[in-house]
Amino acid sequence: MNAVTDFFALLIPAMVPFVLAAQGTVLSGRAGLFNVSQEGLMVLGASVGFLVSWQVGSNTVGLLAALAIGGLFGLVFAYTTTMLRLDQFVIGLALYFAALGLASLLYRAVVGVTLEPPLIPTLKDYPIPLLSDVPLLGRALFSHDLVVYLTFLLSFVIWWFMYRTSAGMRFRAVGENPKSADSVGIPVLRTRMWAGVVGAALMTVAGAYLPMVYTGTFTEGMVAGRGWLVIALAFLGGWRPHLVVAGAAFFAGMEVLALQAQVTGVGIPHQFVLMLPYVGTLVVMIFAFRWARQPAFLGLNYDRESRLSG
Amino acid sequence: MTATQNHEVAGVPDAAPPPARPRSPRTVRDLAWLVLPYVASVLLAFVVGGLVILALGNDPVKAFESVLTTSFKTQFGFVETMHKWVTVVLCAYAFTIPLATGKFNIGAEGQLLMGATGAVAVGILLSDLPMIVLLPLVLVAGILAGAVWAGVSAFLLVRFGVNEILSTVLLNFVSFQAIDYVASHVWPDRGAGHPATIRVGEGALLPRIGDAPNLHAGVILTVLLAVALAIFMRSTATGFEMRAVGANLRASLVHGVRTSRLAGAGLVIGGALGGLAGAIEVAGVHGKMLEGMQSNFLILGIIVGLMARGNLVAVPFVAFGIAVLEVGASSMQRSAQVPVEVVLIIEAMILIFLLLSDVVRARFRGASA
Repeated sequence: MNAVTDFFALLIPAMVPFVLAAQGTVLSGRAGLFNVSQEGLMVLGASVGFLVSWQVGSNTVGLLAALAIGGLFGLVFAYTTTMLRLDQFVIGLALYFAALGLASLLYRAVVGVTLEPPLIPTLKDYPIPLLSDVPLLGRALFSHDLVVYLTFLLSFVIWWFMYRTSAGMRFRAVGENPKSADSVGIPVLRTRMWAGVVGAALMTVAGAYLPMVYTGTFTEGMVAGRGWLVIALAFLGGWRPHLVVAGAAFFAGMEVLALQAQVTGVGIPHQFVLMLPYVGTLVVMIFAFRWARQPAFLGLNYDRESRLSG
Repeated sequence: MTATQNHEVAGVPDAAPPPARPRSPRTVRDLAWLVLPYVASVLLAFVVGGLVILALGNDPVKAFESVLTTSFKTQFGFVETMHKWVTVVLCAYAFTIPLATGKFNIGAEGQLLMGATGAVAVGILLSDLPMIVLLPLVLVAGILAGAVWAGVSAFLLVRFGVNEILSTVLLNFVSFQAIDYVASHVWPDRGAGHPATIRVGEGALLPRIGDAPNLHAGVILTVLLAVALAIFMRSTATGFEMRAVGANLRASLVHGVRTSRLAGAGLVIGGALGGLAGAIEVAGVHGKMLEGMQSNFLILGIIVGLMARGNLVAVPFVAFGIAVLEVGASSMQRSAQVPVEVVLIIEAMILIFLLLSDVVRARFRGASA
């Protein structure tokens, strides 16, 4: 094991929450829904995922429960914004608050106040035969838990769907020009409903992964702004699934570097090291405006009867 | 980069007929339309909250009694409510003023903390000065620190087009680390058992009004500020321009309003008010800076700003209601063992129901027309 292997071994799982939540954001965004409740949904996912895993004794069930509650929040978001045409940003904020409150409330109701927090087993690694035996990077890249593999597979599927299928092209049309999409018979509202539900479900699963891979328990501050970084990530990746994965490597890399620097000590106070991901993101955002492109109808509601939209 | 650029002031969907933005009430009917949604939303949200409390196995009536009465039963409760009100109002302005130009400031938390840092720095470094000099310096330092912090976002927005939602949020997280550094390395109070700075000089503390569990003078300051801001937005050219930009970006551009510069200015003014909130927390409540002092003022500020629908006149009143709920919530946790988070859910519900009332109103008007 050397430093590079170590770095990659930590980087890959650290990418998962970013990739999952960002693919959820991209999926909603490509249909024109700009959901800003990531931070809240990730906390809620972490709470629900942890609590259900702890009660049932199965992390898989915990992940599925997080998926379900995320879908429910996504349904509320999608319904209020597409069917009732309420402001997406405001609804997103309201759901962010509600999810945050619900997350703490559920934890308190189920666990109560304890000196020692209950623990769940963290996810087991499943090394891929052959590939994980490759010297140097084999173990770092191909010896992880199943969620890691699923996350990257899912990213590929989403990319393939969006860019290699005609259904994906129609899907993207909804976010670019819903009026035209509507005029050729694409069900705009139904597409947006699906995108909103699946997107939010991915965000909560991203949160649920956190207690299952790092601490084995839920703490309120554990998402630590990743939800907001995810929105930045979607912008940086230009709302394209493959670039989002690359961007996630950058975000996760800064996170891992900050943690490693904190452990080894680099001569500067650890607070400044921990600022790194946020400051780094801001700096990249400055350059990103040159290449970042976003769906034309991102954040705008579609009203079939209005002559202004589309 | 801004997804929500062309939006109306928050809460009003782009294409929903007819414009439901509350105007100043002219007839009793208008007033009813203005008040009714609030009453209905609050009632409905409390019903939902009551069901949650029931599901937790507690008595909703008892819980709500303590939520709604704590602020008025004892002087202590009332003082606590007013102190909370000050910070909530200022954080709500920090959100609402940029909102008037169509920009979302999600960074009140960071601006409050940096304001507190500025105030604490002056209060500690110049602690020997008499109050007449030191206190204004402390408040100004807080205002400036908050303005500079928001100024970073404003600069990035105007010069590079960096989305202000993201930059303000990211700066919050930077500020958490910054205050941790100040509280543990620069002026640490080793005996506190929690990251906190040493106390500021006596002259940096806000004078008290009245006796016993006393109210600090920041309350008066905030009332004056609220009046001044209302006048500024209603009767100055800049205030009008700011509202115009928020209401219709394209029309403002066509008429030669410097929209991006105004948006930047809005953010800086918002940040200054957030910084003032931090300075008042230091000078009036804690006497020092400590980690966690921002509690959830960011969320409360945004909730109040959205509930008031960007109306600066409504902000102080809505904020009072929220302050009552918040102070009542902690008393409810003590007396009825119902977690405080119930109140956060109720607040989110009020907001959602309030937004839904627009839809209902539009349907009603559509039916009667």
